[in-house]
Amino acid sequence: MDMLTRRTLLTATFASAALLAFAGLPRMGHAQAANAAAAFVDQTGKDLLAVVNGAGSAADKQARLRQIVDRAVDVDEVGRFCLGRFWRVATPEQQKQYLELFHQVLLKNISGKLGDYQGVTFAVGRALAKDGGVSVATVVTRPNSAPANVDWVVSTASGSPRIVDVVAEGTSLRLTQRSDYASYLSQHNSSVPALLDAMRQQLAQPG
Amino acid sequence: MNAFEWLGMLMRAAKTMVVLAGLGLALAGCATPPPASDPEGLAEFKQTNDPLEPANRVMYEVNTGLDTMILRPLAIGYTWAVPSFLRTRVHNVLSNLNSPVLLANDIMQTKPRRAGDTLMRFLINSTIGLGGMFDVADGWGYPYHDADFGETLALWGVSEGPYLFLPILGPGNPRDTSGYGVDIALDPLTWEPGGSVGWDIGYARYGATLVDTRAGLMGTLDKATEQALDPYATVRSLYRQHRQSEIDAVAADTRATTPAWYATPASH
Repeated sequence: MDMLTRRTLLTATFASAALLAFAGLPRMGHAQAANAAAAFVDQTGKDLLAVVNGAGSAADKQARLRQIVDRAVDVDEVGRFCLGRFWRVATPEQQKQYLELFHQVLLKNISGKLGDYQGVTFAVGRALAKDGGVSVATVVTRPNSAPANVDWVVSTASGSPRIVDVVAEGTSLRLTQRSDYASYLSQHNSSVPALLDAMRQQLAQPG
Repeated sequence: MNAFEWLGMLMRAAKTMVVLAGLGLALAGCATPPPASDPEGLAEFKQTNDPLEPANRVMYEVNTGLDTMILRPLAIGYTWAVPSFLRTRVHNVLSNLNSPVLLANDIMQTKPRRAGDTLMRFLINSTIGLGGMFDVADGWGYPYHDADFGETLALWGVSEGPYLFLPILGPGNPRDTSGYGVDIALDPLTWEPGGSVGWDIGYARYGATLVDTRAGLMGTLDKATEQALDPYATVRSLYRQHRQSEIDAVAADTRATTPAWYATPASH
């Protein structure tokens, strides 16, 4: 057997092995993935509202909130997305610090809004496949305000379903955050340490 | 001094601020694009599409000043003094007064079902809804939607152009800001013969609309800018995304001209 045939054979074997492995994976159909994502959003929303409307001290609520966010949101993925092209500019140490700060800022922003969520109700609508994830539509109703359309983008890239974006009335939270960081960086000589300092200051502010 | 005179004065003060801001624009100049050696930075600059950024930032500061000193306190006072029930009535009346402009735009956007919704809403809410105070039509299957000439231009294929921030008017672009001017011209309520009473009513309506809109934005806008490192860029991003989603929503509204309840003649 000459070299060429052997290589072709080897490649073919690998290819078929890979194909088999791929086919053997527990793969979900589109409809199934969409249903799973919708159920996941419904459950996460219920968990969040249970904390918001439930009893307990502010610190207690914050701790429970942190658990839900850690479980339901792919914070690292969102963080990387928000830093955009500057993720590659940052050193590994800066990346680590940034993700840690991002996590804390996110939690602070969410817990700062806890009071606003009092009395909120939501209804889960249709779920659609969208860029590698599933977008689950919900209608969120706050007392004394018009119902708002909020879409939750759920990705299963990390194995279990995790939220990677929230789109409120057509505005994506992660896109808005990315443009905020990008603009801050462009105003500060593209210095990642300057951004990290600004994030630390944000955390130091009361609220 | 009565409330109308006071609002008139407010408007004149605002006009002075706009002139001052124009001066600021002339002084601030244009944004410098990143050098060609930074292709990613250059791509970002193009995508941001804000060549007037330094001038826009001056305008943003002017607007924030006006907002902090005048509009926000007014909105807070309004929210504090007027019960939510009455605020909703005021909002509904103002929104109903805008119906002719909506209808004109719905028609120019060639969206018959939306035009029908607007027309029915205007007829029902102006009469049974007591001059627009009560949104009866919503419950009857004619939901509210917004429409403006900037949106109409977008559907006609006009691109937005560079970002533009103006005091009072807020975030915009040449397309949407000139669209706003067309909407004012389209509004039959601005065609009245004028005179001092006419102008007073016009100012009062714009003043009330400003305060009503600001009160409606109270939680959302304040939180978003509070939590931002660069509030200017955050507002820019929010405005663009929201605008695009509105335009997408109109474009996607392809409901059939014949409503579902209309009996179609049996084919033979």
